[in-house]
Amino acid sequence: MTTLLGPIGSALNKRGLTLAMALALVVLVAAPLATILVQTLYPSSAAWGDVLASRLSQNLFWRPTINTMIIGLGVAAGCVLLGGFLAWLVVMTDIPGRPAIAFMATLPFMIPSFATALAWGTVFRNGRVGGGGGLLEGLGFAVPDWLSWGMTPTIVVLIAHYYSLAFTVIAAALATVNGDLVEAAQMTGASRKRILFGIVLPVVTPAIIAGGSLAFAGAVSNFAAPALLGLPVRMQTLSTRLFGMIEIGQTERGYVLAILLIGISAIFLGLGNRMLSGRRSFATIGGKGAKPRCFALGGARLPLTMAAWVICILTTILPILLLVAASLAPSSLSLFSDWTLHYWIGSSDPAFARGQPGIFHNPLLLSALTTTLILGASVALAANIIGILIAVALTRQKVPVLSNLVSQLSFLPMLLPGIAFAAAYIALYGAPIGPLPALYGTKLLLALALTAAMLPFAVQTGRATVSQISGDIDEAARMTGAGFFRRLGAITLPLAARGLAAGLLITFVNVIGDLAITILLYTPTSPLLAVLSYSYASDGFHQFANAVTLVILIISMLATGAATLLRGRRRQSFT
Amino acid sequence: MRRILTATAAFLMTTAAFAQDLDSKSAADLLPQAKQEGKVTVYAFTSRIGRVEKAFEAAYPGIDMVTFDMSSTEQIARIKSEAQAGLAGADVIYISDAPVVLTELFANKLVAPYVPPRVAGDLAEGFKSPLLAQRLSTKVLMYNEEAHPQGSPVKNLWDLTKPEWKGRVIMVDPLQRGDYLDLMTEIVLKSDEMATAYEAAFGKKIELTDGNENAGQQFITNLFANDLVLVGSTDDVNKAIGAKGQEKPPIGFTSYSDRRDNEDEGWALQVANDVAPSNGIVFPALLALNSKPANPAAARLAVDFMMGDDSETGGDGFKPFYVAGDWATRSDIKPHKDAIPLADFKGWQMAPEETAKIRAEVADFILALQ
Repeated sequence: MTTLLGPIGSALNKRGLTLAMALALVVLVAAPLATILVQTLYPSSAAWGDVLASRLSQNLFWRPTINTMIIGLGVAAGCVLLGGFLAWLVVMTDIPGRPAIAFMATLPFMIPSFATALAWGTVFRNGRVGGGGGLLEGLGFAVPDWLSWGMTPTIVVLIAHYYSLAFTVIAAALATVNGDLVEAAQMTGASRKRILFGIVLPVVTPAIIAGGSLAFAGAVSNFAAPALLGLPVRMQTLSTRLFGMIEIGQTERGYVLAILLIGISAIFLGLGNRMLSGRRSFATIGGKGAKPRCFALGGARLPLTMAAWVICILTTILPILLLVAASLAPSSLSLFSDWTLHYWIGSSDPAFARGQPGIFHNPLLLSALTTTLILGASVALAANIIGILIAVALTRQKVPVLSNLVSQLSFLPMLLPGIAFAAAYIALYGAPIGPLPALYGTKLLLALALTAAMLPFAVQTGRATVSQISGDIDEAARMTGAGFFRRLGAITLPLAARGLAAGLLITFVNVIGDLAITILLYTPTSPLLAVLSYSYASDGFHQFANAVTLVILIISMLATGAATLLRGRRRQSFT
Repeated sequence: MRRILTATAAFLMTTAAFAQDLDSKSAADLLPQAKQEGKVTVYAFTSRIGRVEKAFEAAYPGIDMVTFDMSSTEQIARIKSEAQAGLAGADVIYISDAPVVLTELFANKLVAPYVPPRVAGDLAEGFKSPLLAQRLSTKVLMYNEEAHPQGSPVKNLWDLTKPEWKGRVIMVDPLQRGDYLDLMTEIVLKSDEMATAYEAAFGKKIELTDGNENAGQQFITNLFANDLVLVGSTDDVNKAIGAKGQEKPPIGFTSYSDRRDNEDEGWALQVANDVAPSNGIVFPALLALNSKPANPAAARLAVDFMMGDDSETGGDGFKPFYVAGDWATRSDIKPHKDAIPLADFKGWQMAPEETAKIRAEVADFILALQ
């Protein structure tokens, strides 16, 4: 075995690994995108003209774009405020119950955004659609359209979903604020305001921009929330338009929208990066100082504690409780009465829910559950293996141009809306390529697309883990003649195991909650849980949709709990 | 090389002959081969297919029917991609959206016709070719009969564009569901009748505003301008219109046959038939085979089953479709006693080929509105 791997290993030692990873990324990321670009550029295609300069462009592109931008910027701002506020409370103050708040604040990201959107509907939907309304209308309040549908609920739901990202990133940065500096400033009589703007903010600015960018990228590419909450008031975003175009067979227009959406996110995230690199000098200020000093909150302690808990409860416990209630109540108007387990375990009764049996009697549920778990596990494994290899390549080998390419390509999926990504995969791998068979309608296609989509997270986890392993050990092993695979197996992997396991679980949770990619690529023979929930919801079986969503949630929470345990005290190491 | 070609040609000819042979076989003759195949996959545009599956498996134990409930739009996208990928996803395709099916699937030989010889004599020519029509379905104006016990509050389609119905007309987004796009297309095709109806509603000749070339387009424009509510599925429409206990329920376009769920769901859906110039469209639900089915005999057996048995109401295979508001295409199946007879129904019977010609144009027209 060693002799066989020897030559490969030694080739990988130099620049081979980087090269191999670059190739993998071209196949997974660059090629599908190039395909859709090329398809829209055929002279016969009028798609670019239709989208950008025709009587249709107003509704096909401009308005959806404006909506998308408002959502992206609104969500980014909201996430930074909310996440930053909680991060500040948890890291810099003496608020009680900090570990609990910190755990709760990372949970919303694990709740699929369509679940939050459904939960919103159970409370706020009004009579505009559905003969009744939600909880509030049931109580006799008239809920105006702007609160039930469209922009406001979409932004609120997405903030509730993505603020965890901003929280995690900002909390990590705040933890590096040098306590000595703060103390020195306090002793020389600087005001709190001065300390905040002079010391704290400069240190965390990169994290604020990074957190905001992540939230922006997530929000503009989100499909579930605008699809569920926007249609009744005819609000379209680029991602819902893109989906509609592909649904009614106007794929080229869909591709053009995908490319434009990618372009828009890229420009904004690029701007964020620009600002980051300009201020990079601040990021290193932390050094090895004392632990960050806690501000005593004094009289503000109680109200701020309450505020923190209200945020956590509103964004984690409440949606879950509402979903539970909504999966039990026959009428969405009175969520807390006449509860029945029919939607979970009832057998088919023609007089009830049009003969739909409870989800545990749906033969598709079991197959969806197995497919989801297997897919989640294999994608997590594949993405993280590639992730750690890329991380090794990037930290241990510096190949001009190639290293940069690998780094860029591995981050690119972050900018891509899942739907655009799925469309690109259908375009490239949907038909046979030379001797290779077509992958359309196979689980492999779904797995490949999801793996590529998860790479940014996996590479991030990988880099964080690999960079913690001192290069000295690796160097020493190499001097004693250990080959690449030997070193990977004997040093990197064991040392990185814990971080990797956490990374695996996070990828897993992301995969099983994903709807954007799976909705276009799932195979009818083996739907996934998220798809099942979506199709229940679009058939008007909301209780069933909520029940399936809860199944996803329970699995996610178990995995998240496991990840938290594994990470132990290093609770801020993800993303 | 030549030998291979000859062999392939010979093989192709035998399969073609073989398919013809299967086409003329009766259900009893198909059964042995169907049993050997052991399985048949059906894509269907209605959730009622679940009950067909149960009945079929009871009637033909040993043949597993695998069904998928997908919208016609989704089926069309899948069948195209599957053909491109060389996969045979479904053996039987049960689909509406005839204009697209005929022009994009049938014309490109992605689906093949099959008429079970047993029922061929009871079908009008238009229901046998180019593809077999199993029943006629509708997308028509429905209202809440609890709130309007005196009958439909709308007697003219143009009423829907009046201020009293602002924000209270509901339908599925025509850019997401083909049936609704067909409805909009039919309205454009019937522009002359729409123009006459306009005069009846407003007492003056219609004047087209900028961007509208005919009365049909003008109607669609005005309807959207009147804060039309769009949703994602027919069920959402039914719930919105039908739910009991509403003071001012909306009105909208959905399937006449969904009235069958009134009792179970606590709805009060009722069709508005007395509407000028028409209350909507009547369109065929088509049954076709995959042109390269994986289970050719079982596929034909399934089509035969879904066309109903020789009893008056079509028996178990047709039972899910023997409801008021769906009309069997077979002339020997007795019309449902609770339904308005097809001859008295005001809906326009769609001409799929005509619809296909301007459908994309109408889609763009609607896109420009929303």
